[in-house]
Amino acid sequence: MSDDGRIALSLTLNGRALDVETPACATLLDLLRDRLGLTGVKKGCDMGACGACTVLMGGRRIKSCLALAAACDGGAITTIEGIGTLDDLHPLQAAFIRHDALQCGYCTPGQILSGIALLAETPKDLAAIREGMSGNLCRCGAYPNIVAAIAEVAGL
Amino acid sequence: MSGPAFSYARPADVAGALAQGARPGAAFLAGGTDLIQLWKAGLAAHAELVDISRLPLAGIDLADGELAIGALARLSDVALHPRVMAEHPLIAQAIAATASGQVRNMATVGGNLLQRTRCAYFRTQGMACNKREPGSGCGAAAGETRQAALFGASAACVATHASDLAVALTALRAELTILGPDGERRIALPDLYRLPGQTPQIDTTLAPGELIAAVQVRRAAGLAARSTYLKVRDRASFEFAVVSVAAALRLEDGAVVEARLAAGGVAPLPWRLAGAEAALIGRAPDARAFAEAAGLAVEGAQPLADNGFKVELLRRAVIRALETVGATA
Amino acid sequence: MSPGPVTRWEAGLKVTGQAVFAAETPAPGLLYAVLVEAPVGCGTVLAVDAAQARRTPGFADLISYPEAQGLKPSSVTALIREPTIHFAGQPVALVVAENLAAAQAAARAVRVEAEARPAIAALGQALDQAYTPATAGRNPAESRRGDAARALAEAHLVVRRRYETAVNNHHPMEPHAVVCCWEGDRVTVHTSTQAVFGARAAIAHAFGLPAEDARVVSRFLGGGFGCKGQLWWPWMMQAMLAARRTGRPVRLELTRAQLFTLAGRRSETVQELAVGLDADGRLTAIDHQVLAQTSTHGEYADTTAGVSRWLYACPNVTTRHRLVRTNEPQPIPMRAPGTAPGTFALESALDEAAAALGIDPVDLRVRNHGDHDQEAGRPWSSKRLLECYRVGAERFGWAHRPAAGAAGDGRWRLGSGMASTFYAQHLQPSRARVRLAADASLVVQCGTQDMGNGAYTALGQMAAEALGVPMSRVTVELGDTLLPQGPISAGSQVTVSISPAVAMATAELRAILAQLAVADQASPLAGQRPEDLDFADGLVRSRTGNVAEPLADLLARQAPAGLEAEGSADLPQVQTHSFMSHGAVFVEVGVDPDLGEVRVRRVCAAFAAGRIVNPLLATSQYVGGLIGGIGMALHERTVTDLASGRILGDNFADYLIPVHADMPTFDIALVHEDDTHLPGGIKGVGMLGTAGVQAAIANAIFDAVGRRVRRLPIRIEDILGHPDPRDGFETLT
Ligand SMILES: Cc1cc2nc3c(=O)[nH]c(=O)nc-3n(C[C@H](O)[C@H](O)[C@H](O)COP(=O)(O)OP(=O)(O)OC[C@H]3O[C@@H](n4cnc5c(N)ncnc54)[C@H](O)[C@@H]3O)c2cc1C
Ligand code: SF4
Ligand code: FES
Ligand code: FES
Repeated sequence: MSDDGRIALSLTLNGRALDVETPACATLLDLLRDRLGLTGVKKGCDMGACGACTVLMGGRRIKSCLALAAACDGGAITTIEGIGTLDDLHPLQAAFIRHDALQCGYCTPGQILSGIALLAETPKDLAAIREGMSGNLCRCGAYPNIVAAIAEVAGL
Repeated sequence: MSGPAFSYARPADVAGALAQGARPGAAFLAGGTDLIQLWKAGLAAHAELVDISRLPLAGIDLADGELAIGALARLSDVALHPRVMAEHPLIAQAIAATASGQVRNMATVGGNLLQRTRCAYFRTQGMACNKREPGSGCGAAAGETRQAALFGASAACVATHASDLAVALTALRAELTILGPDGERRIALPDLYRLPGQTPQIDTTLAPGELIAAVQVRRAAGLAARSTYLKVRDRASFEFAVVSVAAALRLEDGAVVEARLAAGGVAPLPWRLAGAEAALIGRAPDARAFAEAAGLAVEGAQPLADNGFKVELLRRAVIRALETVGATA
Repeated sequence: MSPGPVTRWEAGLKVTGQAVFAAETPAPGLLYAVLVEAPVGCGTVLAVDAAQARRTPGFADLISYPEAQGLKPSSVTALIREPTIHFAGQPVALVVAENLAAAQAAARAVRVEAEARPAIAALGQALDQAYTPATAGRNPAESRRGDAARALAEAHLVVRRRYETAVNNHHPMEPHAVVCCWEGDRVTVHTSTQAVFGARAAIAHAFGLPAEDARVVSRFLGGGFGCKGQLWWPWMMQAMLAARRTGRPVRLELTRAQLFTLAGRRSETVQELAVGLDADGRLTAIDHQVLAQTSTHGEYADTTAGVSRWLYACPNVTTRHRLVRTNEPQPIPMRAPGTAPGTFALESALDEAAAALGIDPVDLRVRNHGDHDQEAGRPWSSKRLLECYRVGAERFGWAHRPAAGAAGDGRWRLGSGMASTFYAQHLQPSRARVRLAADASLVVQCGTQDMGNGAYTALGQMAAEALGVPMSRVTVELGDTLLPQGPISAGSQVTVSISPAVAMATAELRAILAQLAVADQASPLAGQRPEDLDFADGLVRSRTGNVAEPLADLLARQAPAGLEAEGSADLPQVQTHSFMSHGAVFVEVGVDPDLGEVRVRRVCAAFAAGRIVNPLLATSQYVGGLIGGIGMALHERTVTDLASGRILGDNFADYLIPVHADMPTFDIALVHEDDTHLPGGIKGVGMLGTAGVQAAIANAIFDAVGRRVRRLPIRIEDILGHPDPRDGFETLT
């Protein structure tokens, strides 16, 4: 920790090494969204209860609003910006578009990252996808299409 | 609005953590999923967070007939551990019903047992709450009591403990290894918790700076096949229990020889249903035995204005859980 | 046009995280704002002491009542100009600092001195002060046709019940935010609002600016559902004051907790309903009395009893809305305002009537079909509700459903229920601009907003179809007051309101292009009659002969600088018809009679809402609405703590909204409906799904376990316990 209470971190962010300083109290969400401009990471509740801030850490999904940035030192973090681009969409992103798995789009990055992590757990049926995605709220009610998109990529 | 700023430290080893954790104003940070929430809501003020999440206390070992789970093991790692799933399905089920995939990837076993109550008055700034602000009164007892305890409450506090895992572990007679400045001690899980009495602000029997190192569960062969965690809630997922029941039975020659029952959402701590357990021993696992046990489970319940339904709900949940594990087919 | 469904125009931006929402607007030198809340729930602020706050590191400025006196008094600015505390959680100041943490630290250091007055924390505490407002929604608060009292006295059957619905909050996933920036006396405001032009007018009025000096931008809106309007503007304006005083851009983002207090709510309702029927199940009378809450600083009532005025044919109808002022947050329209709680009451009562008379619930509704608007004495512009009943019932399998209480699946008892839904269609004036570039790519512009309802896509599609250009060549620009003025995003009015403006602009372009083509010797269309030309598949072609030419070729020769046209649509002078969309919702629920858990398993709904511009997106809208209705039926409930006046559990762990695991399967039928009286034959779809489903669920629960629940949300304790003997159903154990 430096004298002004800032903490030096090394992260791998979307595949790139990054050194950055953060206040002790900052969450990973604050760091990504406000400091590093990765605004694809959304803030819906800031209390762990909506999933909009979901990112992958070492391939596992977490809620970045409840993770202290300082505690993520050394971690490999993937945000929606590291998943795919307009010209090179991840299969789940493409499936989201086809299935209209979004309305306002605010929950969407979190749903996609959560869905990618869930796909790695190979859900066995639609019920498992629904249960596994329940940490991601969608107020617009895109749920059925989100599940359809994930199911398609899962080959279900 | 969030609480005051804090500093952050990540000691390299357990000894360092114990030393730093004992400093005034220090608190351990494990997964942070409860602590950071509380801090953000302005309900926790710590001068320093001592990050213990990387200490080598995250192992999951099954040896000598005992399951030992490091306190820093992540809930998801425990629930997906093949031997936990096979030999202690109750633990895996309770965790699977906990929070969401994201939270389970962050939350630790120790932190889960130590999460503070979900009493909405406790969690909302500006409301009377003796647990948060001793002497301010109990907003819940005077207000909405749907969440309130049926057992073990006091006039000062009627809050319930929210951990699902703790209910399963209580049924399984888990013990905790606790490390402190004076060395190591081992206690039964329920002894971690205090009844609120006149001092609801103190949740546990941990001394300042003490660290939970591990949870031990003796191998309960024979219980695994007949165990279930039943969580009743309004929403199908991602909600704390309205009432929950952990149940396990061992049958021999058509009779119950061992019974384990604990309930969640009904008391300030995971509530062991000892009377109901005892009543099942030697009985055939039939509807009458289950109904009697369930009757004993709710004996002494003290409902308040809005939680009377939980008495009946608990009774029925006990029966349902016993039916699930007692099915002879 | 292009084969396959047209997907959401802006979906690529949203799935890659590139869609920029208001709070994310980049602004160098940004200051962060935090609101300081009142220490009491009712009273007067005496002093705001910022001395200590000013000394906290990074502090930049504080805005409270004195700093806001320069704003023009109005209902929008009242809360920031007048030191009266109306409700717990009301902000009394705004602090800005170098970063969010510094702003929070400074806000914690602000000392607020206030004089407390006794608060009315609940509707029930001031029933004696209930009053009848002038209007309920856009309608009179009271209505009377025929003589309901007398008809009730003479009715063969009277169902007289009380229905209660809880307070709900909108909770778009994106909290309200503003990033604002002044340049001299001109200001740019990026904010989450369903009405960029409304916001601009309010800003111009409050700050005394010419409208063109304020630019309001809302390109992407993370949901709104009615709450991203004027209740947010006071706090947005406080941030603007701070930006002006500091000379730096300021960002304010509401917290999730503040969305319970500062963004509006659906009021609770207590509805006393009496319906009278003859022996054939024909409605002879409805008396519908509604009590709801409003705040001490504003007034709003949903048209909750509108359902009784409009949904069925009935000669004798009396309705009345009354309000009670409490020191709680201000209600505003939320997803299916009025129709959601109103249909819950009427459609539940009709289910009871059907059971009492031994008439099938669908049949009962068919018998009471209203073939014209009895309240206004006008014909419907179109109404295919009967077809909705038929199609919905058929796809649900209504006729073959098991007898009440007879079906089960493991621990679940299964039940079926149905209800009607409706929503009144209104129009707004709108303008739109369409620009065709030389390469035949299209830009469509309109100052309306897309909050997830598909405005980008609808607008693009309408223009693309009219000019025969593929969607991949279309750019749509919305949410900016620099664009032609468009409708506010409310009441499912956007698509129908912009449709004539787009049609006018594209018609003008087509006419110009046709003229250019027929007069151009280099075109294969030379010499054709302009009115014979047609635009499709990127071609201009003759409808009679086999001649065609790519639009891009024609443009390259004849309009290398591109072409542009603007269209506008005003409101019709006289309304000869009543506009209403309708639907029928069929639901199957599972109820665990022992544990009280209720899960919706299957929803089949048929909707008739004019011409559907995009079936994929319309279906999404219906499903989204139905899910909102499921939340209202089973989960959502905002509670005020009577002691403190504060909202209890102001977070998503306590205020439950449906999650993935709660989802039933959905089968949505889009019933074809021609409407020659509405522009483009279009009606709104957004609100329709959110009503009706609540009653359908309650009716299905009764079918499953014989329990009538007349209070929302329906929770575990409502299923447990002893059935109300009036329900006349004791056979299940
Ligand atoms: C949205 C949401 C939903 C949830 N739903 C559920 C649910 O359904 N069921 C359920 O059971 N839980 C639920 N939880 C709670 C969650 O399980 C706990 O927050 C989590 O288990 C806490 O673990 P942690 O490691 O993150 O603890 P932290 O937040 O890091 O710590 C919690 C407390 O324990 C102390 N502590 C942590 N580890 C130790 C240790 N080894 N020794 C001594 N002290 C220690 C900390 O100082 C702190 O006081 C939910 C949480 C969220 C955010
Ligand atoms: S029940 Fe306990 S935690 Fe809840 S308000 Fe009362 S004292 Fe606080
Ligand atoms: S913002 Fe992190 S879970 Fe809601
Ligand atoms: S798409 Fe709007 S919240 Fe999910």
